[in-house]
Amino acid sequence: MKAEQHTEAGVTAPALAAEAVTVRYGEVTALSAVSTRFEPGRIHAVLGQNGAGKTTFARVAAGLVPPAEGAVTVFGRRLAGGDVAEARGAGVELVHQSFALPPSFTVAEVLQFVGPKAGLFTKRGIERHWQRWLDGLGLGLDARARIRDLPIEMQQSAEIARAMVSDARLLILDEPTAVLSPKGTERLFARVRELKAQGVTIMLVLHKIREVLAIADTVTVLRGGELVAGPVEAQDLTSETLAELIIGEAAARLDASDRAALVGAGAQHQPDQGRPDAPPAVVLKGISTASNTRGNGLSEVDLTVRCGEIVGIAGVEGNGQRELVAAIAGLEPLTAGEISLADQRMETASLAARREAGLRIIPFERNVEGLSLSSPLWENWGAAQLVGGSLLASVRPRNLQRSAEAAFQAWDVVFSNTAQPAGSLSGGNAQKVILSREMDPGAKLILAAQPTRGLDIGATMAVWKALRQARGEGAGILLVSSDLDELFDICDRVAVMVSGRVVAEFAPPWDLKAVGRAMTAAGQQPALEAVP
Amino acid sequence: MEDLIVAFLRSGTPLVYVALAGVIAQRAGIWHLGLEGMMITGACATIVGIVLTQSVMVGLLSGTIFCCLLALLFWFVVEVLKANQIIAGLGLSGLGLGGTALALTAIFGSEAAVSAPAGLPRLGPAFGAFGGLSVLVAAMPLVVFACWVLLCRTRFGLRLSACGEHAFAARATGVSPGLMRLIALLLGGPLCALGGAELAAGSLQIFSVNMTAGRGFMSFAAVIFGAGHPVGATLAAFFFAFVGALGIRAQLAYGDRIPSSLLLALPYVATVIGLWISARTRGGHATTSRELGQQ
Repeated sequence: MKAEQHTEAGVTAPALAAEAVTVRYGEVTALSAVSTRFEPGRIHAVLGQNGAGKTTFARVAAGLVPPAEGAVTVFGRRLAGGDVAEARGAGVELVHQSFALPPSFTVAEVLQFVGPKAGLFTKRGIERHWQRWLDGLGLGLDARARIRDLPIEMQQSAEIARAMVSDARLLILDEPTAVLSPKGTERLFARVRELKAQGVTIMLVLHKIREVLAIADTVTVLRGGELVAGPVEAQDLTSETLAELIIGEAAARLDASDRAALVGAGAQHQPDQGRPDAPPAVVLKGISTASNTRGNGLSEVDLTVRCGEIVGIAGVEGNGQRELVAAIAGLEPLTAGEISLADQRMETASLAARREAGLRIIPFERNVEGLSLSSPLWENWGAAQLVGGSLLASVRPRNLQRSAEAAFQAWDVVFSNTAQPAGSLSGGNAQKVILSREMDPGAKLILAAQPTRGLDIGATMAVWKALRQARGEGAGILLVSSDLDELFDICDRVAVMVSGRVVAEFAPPWDLKAVGRAMTAAGQQPALEAVP
Repeated sequence: MEDLIVAFLRSGTPLVYVALAGVIAQRAGIWHLGLEGMMITGACATIVGIVLTQSVMVGLLSGTIFCCLLALLFWFVVEVLKANQIIAGLGLSGLGLGGTALALTAIFGSEAAVSAPAGLPRLGPAFGAFGGLSVLVAAMPLVVFACWVLLCRTRFGLRLSACGEHAFAARATGVSPGLMRLIALLLGGPLCALGGAELAAGSLQIFSVNMTAGRGFMSFAAVIFGAGHPVGATLAAFFFAFVGALGIRAQLAYGDRIPSSLLLALPYVATVIGLWISARTRGGHATTSRELGQQ
């Protein structure tokens, strides 16, 4: 590592100093006048809800986003802002949340592409060179492996390796745990501590209190683009004070379990009495799908969701969750198995027939699968009414517009008129439009796929409230989420998926460690673990 | 047999040069449907340059300059004005086809074919039956190799590919995708000029309106068929040329029994079949990146 830089006064310069940094995206202020100082050689956590400005702050420090006002100083060097090459030169590297790695590249090519040598190379030569370097880091990566063939945890290792090529002195990791299993998170944190021991300053962007308290030396909290606190020594903080800092005044009005779920402090809701006698909303018997570009597809999945029950699907992303939702919706053909929806066999039924039987979907990608962003709101809402009708059935736009308007008002959607395009709404409001369409009294089975991803507290609470209300009205709900706190807060049962199989099922009281173990148990037989 | 090989090299070489320009653009994330326009501009500017100055060097130079100007225009429209690449590329092709016809009228007073007093240097009698081929045919393997080294064995090539495949990955390491695309398109300028020059001045020493007759689009098909790889695109270009040469042969042999226009359509039919095969064998998306063509 290079020697510490000193300012003229002889005092050690902070690793990162922000002075009244303001960032605007169009009319939205993502960060307003944030000032903070991070001392070198420590692990600094930046904490906050979705939309708090954490990622923007990380990107300003890495030179990806220019501040509208204010300045950033790294190890005593003032950055002009908005210049990645300059920030890298000063020793800042950013590990991105969705990794910045071209999928067709090999690990060696990725490292060569960011590395210092510009001249000709041979394939064998760079593979050998970077393999030696990787072995020195102890990352356990194969330099010849292609990025797209690596599991997500290894992709993150490759991204960290990419950041370390240029001897980073300030390593920023943006939500690194979002894609990891609890076990993977532990391994990542061990690596982060090693880097700290080597003298690297670390800035971790996180949104779970449990993780922050496990690793950070100091904590900085952002809310709504403003600095709420920090950096504060982590040992002076408790889970409760942090939760209040993150959520703000609204914290007092929230149920304790919901509050814990929102900030990742270990949610544990009081389970209702289960309804083992309730009729099943959906029964999956040994369903399998063909392998596709993302993986092996489903393999002999057995799962039952009863009416009035929320069943969660946990698992590291890319382990068959998308295929499961697509298979139940009839968007992915089965190669084997049976699907019964509300006691009707549905393996080959169209999506329209399944909707007719009470299937409703809150899809993974709300902006792609859930809404047509360029179409007016009333068309987006009315689409559900047209499914399964006769081709020649007349459509009365005026009636649809009126019904849509009433539905939006009932769901507290903030909109000016039903003719505005869906793309003009914020993420939370867009999700409420989907909820207002999908959550009707005819719903028997609701597939909720990552329904709160990227939403702020208010919108997240609205989604949870809607799901609980639907359960109360007797609908069965299948909730896919990569956030275990969310699952533990609102589910009655949680099934864990690994490589397209359901490998375990859990019921409250929740055991985070056990669920985490099941998520990382690769290559397991499909036999179910005993439900505690 | 020898004359078949000669015809094959002669018709394949222009396609290869132009396809290489397409490969470089493809790697940087641009669907280069303007290749047809660049190629015919290269052909026209080379012949007109030779006619006006009697110098082959000046002809090649003017071809290169005009192709680079078109590349610059294409980049400006696509990158700065954020126009749709496909539409802009087709527009560029239209501009080249129409613009060269207009240039002929402006300079020579009619759209009649122009013949030049000199053509590209030939290999000479020392090469026997191949002596009639131009030096650009002989240089072609070297150019393909140079492109392969540049694209696949230098950091520059990796950066170019990163821009096309995952622009954010490039931006995140301080590489400007816009600048890389400009460089890629400008590198395509001289290549398109050489392709056009080989077509017009390699053996014929003549330029006529619309003389590329879809060869630029065929080169683009070779880029896709060859999976955006310089060697793959070269092989694909020669495959199309081979079918073309076969078509002319068949026309001579069976022209009295099979309509000649049907035989002349063979290369285009082969192009369609080739694209179908490549989409089937590679699953269509294994090599085309999701960010290609996006801003």
